[in-house]
Amino acid sequence: MEQGQQLTHILQQFDDCADFKHIAYPELNVDLLYFDHMIDAGKLSREVLSPLLSVTENEMASALARLTFTIKSENKEIVVAILSGSAALFHGGQAYIIDMYDPKGRAISQSETETTITGPHEAFSEPANSTLSLIRRRIRSSHLKCIRLQVGEVSKTDVYVLYVADIVNMDYVQELIRRIREIEIDAVHDTNMLVQLVDDKPASIFPQFYTTERPDAIASKLAGGRVVGVMDGSPFAFSAPTSLFEFFISSDDYYQRWSLGTATRILRFIAFIITILFTGIYVSVTTFHYEMIPQKLLLTLSESRSRVPFPPVYEALLMETVIELLREAGARLPTKIGQTIGIVGGIVIGQAAVQAGFTSNILIIVVASSAIASFVMPSFIMSASIRLIRFGLIVLAGIWGNLGITVGIAFLVIHLSHLTSLGSSYLTPVAPHKPGDWMDIFIRAPFKLLGKRPSQAKSPNPVRMKPKE
Amino acid sequence: MPTVKEKLSSFHVLILIYMTQTGVVIISLGQMLAQTFGLNGWLALPAYCIAVTVNLLLIGLIYRMGQGKSIFEIMEQRLPKALLAPLYLALTAVWSMLACLVAIEYVFIFQMIAFPTTNPVWFKLVIDLLAMLLCVKGVYTMSKASTVFFYLTVWMYPFSCLLFHEFSWKRMTPFFFHEGDFSPMGMTGIYTAFLGFELVMLLFGYVERSAKLMKMAIWANLLVFASYMYICLLVFGFFGFGELQHMQFPLIDMFAFVKFPFIERIENMLYGLLLFTMLSTMSMYYWSASEASGRLFTRVKPEYRGLALVAGTFFVGLIPDTLADVNVWLTWLGIAEICISFGLPLFLLALLMIRKEKGKTAHA
Repeated sequence: MEQGQQLTHILQQFDDCADFKHIAYPELNVDLLYFDHMIDAGKLSREVLSPLLSVTENEMASALARLTFTIKSENKEIVVAILSGSAALFHGGQAYIIDMYDPKGRAISQSETETTITGPHEAFSEPANSTLSLIRRRIRSSHLKCIRLQVGEVSKTDVYVLYVADIVNMDYVQELIRRIREIEIDAVHDTNMLVQLVDDKPASIFPQFYTTERPDAIASKLAGGRVVGVMDGSPFAFSAPTSLFEFFISSDDYYQRWSLGTATRILRFIAFIITILFTGIYVSVTTFHYEMIPQKLLLTLSESRSRVPFPPVYEALLMETVIELLREAGARLPTKIGQTIGIVGGIVIGQAAVQAGFTSNILIIVVASSAIASFVMPSFIMSASIRLIRFGLIVLAGIWGNLGITVGIAFLVIHLSHLTSLGSSYLTPVAPHKPGDWMDIFIRAPFKLLGKRPSQAKSPNPVRMKPKE
Repeated sequence: MPTVKEKLSSFHVLILIYMTQTGVVIISLGQMLAQTFGLNGWLALPAYCIAVTVNLLLIGLIYRMGQGKSIFEIMEQRLPKALLAPLYLALTAVWSMLACLVAIEYVFIFQMIAFPTTNPVWFKLVIDLLAMLLCVKGVYTMSKASTVFFYLTVWMYPFSCLLFHEFSWKRMTPFFFHEGDFSPMGMTGIYTAFLGFELVMLLFGYVERSAKLMKMAIWANLLVFASYMYICLLVFGFFGFGELQHMQFPLIDMFAFVKFPFIERIENMLYGLLLFTMLSTMSMYYWSASEASGRLFTRVKPEYRGLALVAGTFFVGLIPDTLADVNVWLTWLGIAEICISFGLPLFLLALLMIRKEKGKTAHA
């Protein structure tokens, strides 16, 4: 195909694209095509535009030799390259693709959803380059491999699969790549959306990939033998395989003394139990099993409930819904207005609802405790899932009391037992039973006891720390 | 990876068999022992444990002689399928009915204690749904669920130490096996508390090569024995023989004495937790029935087989009206199951010794 024909065809592709730039140098027989907001303008001016002004057509060959380029002949490839932030230079019937990609994104800032007290504070930002750089800075090894894939028929979003060779189990890498390649969708907008497209059980309420915006967490997953995924345009990276218990772990646990880390982790498990069961037990006990309340407490409880006109299940659902409304409003509004919502909600829930006889004092304590407990979970997505499960258990408790709660738990256990992450059991290390991993799941043992990588990673090189002689 | 079929490890086998054996009978076992064997009736439990161990050794012999092959393969390689069809049907019927009756027994007990005005059919329907969800997912998922159920229930044992202050050795009396009725039905009833171990026969082929299947089955039985001994010793020393004879559910009554400053009468939680052990037992029996029926209806998917078995037995399960009726049904089915637990391995042994595999030459 001649240059003229090829150029015309490509220009047709970008018809009606006001942000598209086409610079022609007829005297040099050169055409330059690019999107100026996607490229590094300084670099383009320095390396391409300025030299073009000072050369003649005969000197073009030597001018091009100074550039780093790839030659593409297929129109489709050239279009994709321009869309990916390259400049396409047409000269002498050939298309030279010069990488000028410079995404203008948010600067690296502090993590807002996964804050830690000790340890690094920086979080990933949207451009994949910045995310990959943050990871590479933490794992300076040539064994850290990075495979680029594209997702989205329209969006053509770059997805990178990262792993540390010799540590990772390649079966997991291949499985993840296969799943990503099989995605057929118009566009993917965030990592949290991407992982739902490669989930083992997309209908499940539980996240089957661990997503985080913390580079230190991702570096530890890579070193632990897991596969990591990064998507351009999302400040979240994901790792797999994961388990239910991994969502209870925060990076902070490793930066504090082991005893504090252990205590915090146990606290999180208690918080999990409180979140899903506390309100349900209140409903169950006050509806069906009054005999379970000691006499002294019973007096306080009956006094508190004496003015409430609704059955406990409605009372609890009402209060839980109000709490969820407050949480959602607080999350959507700007910080300053969010605070006002908090105060208004606090007063309405805390005092007015009780005085109006809508609810009992004790239920306020129960609902507030379970709401606070739900925010103890380090992962926001898991925390949201658990809060939703709580509603189901409250309804079941309202129907059948303790048996209802047990039925709900049994259903959850059955569901969790069947759940997998990249084909690996979601209940690891409880089922399958891997007691060696318990030291880093239920407690945070001293580092000398954490000498092996998690068994779920099925790493060919399971030892991470040599024992001292 | 998903293409690799996951197999059961030693620990899973241990827990799965333990959870299958442990059932709702545990709440009335003390009373059954007192009534059948009289004073210090709990001392009869070792005899049951030995009988089960002998049975397990017999099954172990089949495992070894059959080189780990599934019992269905052993039979089908030696006999025509048409001849085996009645046996498969009988196994399917007994195992699925046992699963159904275990659930009905639990539902009736629960209804009697907590919801006397609610129609038990609703409870049964929900429990059947849970069992179906569990059994159609296969033995590996069932073992994982059983492991979690185990951790959710096992804490009741250390918890029972809060009752030690009411325990007295004096209530044991120095007499052994006096005033018992020694009825065969009573003795069979106690043996049914141990049933579930025989399903280990169906796990051949599902375990990892390294897992010591039969060793784990024996350990599971010993664990069940230890837990029954502990519970029965506790109820005998807590209530004494006289009182125990007239109590229907001594374990539940005993836990009613546990008190905390913020909660008491925790037996209300105990019978809820028993749902977990019951679900493990029930799903294992349904799964076994599904495996047996699968040899006859090879084209039917396991999901549909499970659904058909649960639905079919659900309607049969509507016939018994009272707990007493259920207990009679359970005892007869228990006798049938005891016959299977001894008879089936003996039949397999005979087959292994007498008949060669189809297609193999005499000196092969």
